[in-house]
Amino acid sequence: MNTTTTLISDSALVSLYIAGKESAFEQLVNRHKNKVYTTIFLIVKDSYTAEDLLQDTFIKAIHTMKSGRYNEEGKFSSWICRIAHNLAIDHFRKEKRSPMITLEDGSNVFNNMSFSEDSAESLQIKEDTHARLRELIQTLPQTQREVLMMRHYAEMSFQEIADATGVSINTALGRMRYALINLRKKMQHNNIAYDKNLYSE
Amino acid sequence: MIKTSTQNELIQYVYDDLADDAYEQLEGALVQDMELADSCAELLLIQKLLDEAVKAPRQHAINNILNYSKRLSLQS
Repeated sequence: MNTTTTLISDSALVSLYIAGKESAFEQLVNRHKNKVYTTIFLIVKDSYTAEDLLQDTFIKAIHTMKSGRYNEEGKFSSWICRIAHNLAIDHFRKEKRSPMITLEDGSNVFNNMSFSEDSAESLQIKEDTHARLRELIQTLPQTQREVLMMRHYAEMSFQEIADATGVSINTALGRMRYALINLRKKMQHNNIAYDKNLYSE
Repeated sequence: MIKTSTQNELIQYVYDDLADDAYEQLEGALVQDMELADSCAELLLIQKLLDEAVKAPRQHAINNILNYSKRLSLQS
């Protein structure tokens, strides 16, 4: 029996959804929910607010797709993460909150990383490392954090980021480079240990 | 000392955002330049960690989204 499965493209799923196939939308949501949620969470820093804005993001996307206003140029992942990013920024402006650094309370958040073969202790260490990394991302200068989120989580190309932020591609690349270098330094400064094996699960 | 332009290309390389000809040129340089290869490995490690640090929303929030879409479809 042939067990090979072909991954349907986002573009095809959008077309199927517009044509009335609800299961296509479910696939799109499940495929992108974590990156969209992380994009929002890194801005608002609160799990419940992030979930509310995640719902608003997809509801906005639903209306755009269903009303025939979805522009097929560009990637779905970039588009949906841009909506999320804009809603999260709007939320900040409405709340008139400055981006304060707050400790993350992950106790109510289900995290679906694949830890099934790890011990409870190593799971906790991994989750602590990831939570501290998310905190460190929030301490990056705004321009660096923005590029990092657009490239890493929204999967925008560097040219798209340059266009969206009104800078040259070299500036966007430089910001990304400094973001990664700064994260590395901050991890060393905070004694955050991480697995240095690129190929481990 | 790695040139800034090469460091920028390295960023594009690990994010698969480099033009084909520059891609091949950089891969050639990575084989010969240990400092460049070390920098590349560092970037890949941080990239991997950033992937792992992705958070997931609760299923309740996802169900709300899917139910909203279904309700809208039934109305139209």
